[in-house]
Amino acid sequence: MLKSLNATFVATTMFVATATTTIALADGHAKGPYDAYKGQTVTAIFPAHPHYNAVMKVLPEFTKETGIKVEVDQLQYLKLREKSTLELTKRQGDYDLMSYVVFSKADYVFADQLENLARFFMNPKLSDPKYDADDLIDGYVQNIGVAGGKKGYLPGPTGSLFGIPFGSETSVLAYRKDIFEKHGIEVPKTYDALLKVACQIPEVEKGMGGMASRAASGHQASHAFLLHLAPLGGRVFDDEWNPIINNEAGVKAANALKTIVDCGPEGATTFGPAEAAASFSQGTSAMFMDSIAFAAGFEDPSKSKVAGKVGYALHPEGVRRGSQTGGFGVGIPRNAKNKEAAFLLMQWLTSKKGDLMVAMQGGNPSRFSTYENAELNAKYPYSATFGEALKFADPDWRPIIPTWGKINADIGTTMSKVLTEGLDPQEALDGVAERAKKIMDEAGYYTWK
Amino acid sequence: MTTASKLNRLTPYMFLAPAVLLLAVALLYPIGYMVYASFLDWRPSQYISEAEFVGFRNYVNLWNDEAFLESFGVTLKFAAVVVTLEMLLGVGLALLLDRNLRGLAALRTIFILPMMIAPIVVGLMWRYMYHPTVGIFNRTLKSWGLEPIPWLSDGTWSFIAVVIADVWQWTPFIFILSLAALQSLPQSALEAAELDGATGWQKIWHIKLPLMMPVLIVALLLRLIDAFKVLEVVLVMTNGGPGLSTEILSLRIFRTAQEFQELGVAAAMSNYLLILLMLLTTIMFVYNKAVENRAARLRAAAEEA
Repeated sequence: MLKSLNATFVATTMFVATATTTIALADGHAKGPYDAYKGQTVTAIFPAHPHYNAVMKVLPEFTKETGIKVEVDQLQYLKLREKSTLELTKRQGDYDLMSYVVFSKADYVFADQLENLARFFMNPKLSDPKYDADDLIDGYVQNIGVAGGKKGYLPGPTGSLFGIPFGSETSVLAYRKDIFEKHGIEVPKTYDALLKVACQIPEVEKGMGGMASRAASGHQASHAFLLHLAPLGGRVFDDEWNPIINNEAGVKAANALKTIVDCGPEGATTFGPAEAAASFSQGTSAMFMDSIAFAAGFEDPSKSKVAGKVGYALHPEGVRRGSQTGGFGVGIPRNAKNKEAAFLLMQWLTSKKGDLMVAMQGGNPSRFSTYENAELNAKYPYSATFGEALKFADPDWRPIIPTWGKINADIGTTMSKVLTEGLDPQEALDGVAERAKKIMDEAGYYTWK
Repeated sequence: MTTASKLNRLTPYMFLAPAVLLLAVALLYPIGYMVYASFLDWRPSQYISEAEFVGFRNYVNLWNDEAFLESFGVTLKFAAVVVTLEMLLGVGLALLLDRNLRGLAALRTIFILPMMIAPIVVGLMWRYMYHPTVGIFNRTLKSWGLEPIPWLSDGTWSFIAVVIADVWQWTPFIFILSLAALQSLPQSALEAAELDGATGWQKIWHIKLPLMMPVLIVALLLRLIDAFKVLEVVLVMTNGGPGLSTEILSLRIFRTAQEFQELGVAAAMSNYLLILLMLLTTIMFVYNKAVENRAARLRAAAEEA
């Protein structure tokens, strides 16, 4: 009885609220774009990640400005992925705004679980004309946001937008200015120079490794290998999905990784990103090439012994320039309740103003203009280099396809064997290519041949 | 037979029925679900009803999957090595400490401490102890002027490292069960043996061990089942690496479901593991029956004496 009374009450309230809003709209009283959504709650799922920690500090400002409340579940990255995947299969999901890691784009879009953002950007009541999408970092948008174009996961005439990069990352080379100066070493601009310096350091500086790199079996070793593959001119697949990972460029990348790990700090073959970053910040290696997200930690004297001694440079050039693209984007689940309010939040957070606010709190900018901002550069002096690096961010440095998880793991365990068991790189990559071909065949990638 | 007496006979079953049914549903439904899932090509982004039925494809494909076979081999090796070591050490320690010493109770408590620590913590603890530079082992080796050991960065060493951690945690389990078994042995048998002039070894070999055997077999079985399913310690310490040198089956299953998003294949792998464990259990139970009979005869003989 009580329940049904309650339900009636809620229904009545909702009816009155809707009616009021409709009347207000009809009267032309709703002046601001946010008025119709005032009092609504957007429920978001975000990862526990420095960028999103910065976002949390900025959210109250959004609520103050718009009257839209935001509730956030912040989860560790793997948990986030697991939870989101489950949530998306429900008829009515709990989340209105979802942060997803770049590989998930393939899964979610393929399963038709993310909203195509066109219908929001077409809606004059929702879409901010001053949004300036041209200012969004192109490589990130292509990598994280767009699907349905070339190869299915890249942009192109048939592609459309399913998410906006938010908390995205690229790679830069961090190095110890003091050590380089002490020994008169030049900052490497090419891969040849990088590998030379990597092995020179342990000779001139006892007990110090050249470069700290991820290398642990599985995803980490694969990530490290792919980081070198793109600039050295390689790809995992050609345009017809034939594995070409075992060509000359592939072998070169594997050898580069092996050299880096061999000349790296002790125990380097077990390093994940945290261990590699710790090795650099604790002063046991002279270089670190990975995501820009680590820079803030290096400059924090409470966590790092090298604060103030670190220089940042572009990811060195092989036969081409290509830094990684990765990290997170935000999208609206198809089963969300408050999609329009979620869009408004997404648009606000990734606007010029929102992006800068988040960046000032230590987040990763998604816009070129943010990187050029004088205030940001004064606070984080490395911002200019990062902005420069983004011009070379390669959206295709690794494929984003549903079968990637398995191929990625195989590359990673095989690379680990190259690093620890002395497996020949050519033989190792031939094996990877053969197995990848089988996986792709089973998944139907050669149907049209 | 009258209706009343028929009903009387049925009464106990009727009382039991709800519990049995509930148990059957609770036990069998998840297993049935797993068996069903193993016949599907199912990704976590689909409802199970949308998944394609592929018959035995997942099962057959696994026999051509090098990584699965390697991981299966690693699991067999791991289980065999850790269980053998734990049995030897656990029973050995129990035989050594089975006497009325002062402070034995305290010692026993200390011995079983490792078992009480959550496996994830054990994994982390050992991972830091194995750390190449700041870990206790390599620091000690270096201070003695010896070469550091690549604990977790070499295939063979990382397998040894994982075995050491598991043996450290689970030997106490065997120890505590063996000690309990030893302390409940019929004293008369031992006294009789002493009168007959049996040596310590002879007592262990001909009386203590055979009498303990039923307990030891159950302990062995429990450990074996657990060793085949170990996950957290390995996940934290090596994440299966380097290469696939410590990729035990439960880790492979976890990754197949989580990273590769192939729920059907993961279910098929789990079923292979289940079948293997069921086989092992059956063999052990049959063997146990024989051993129990022998122990009972020994006990009876001891009591007569």
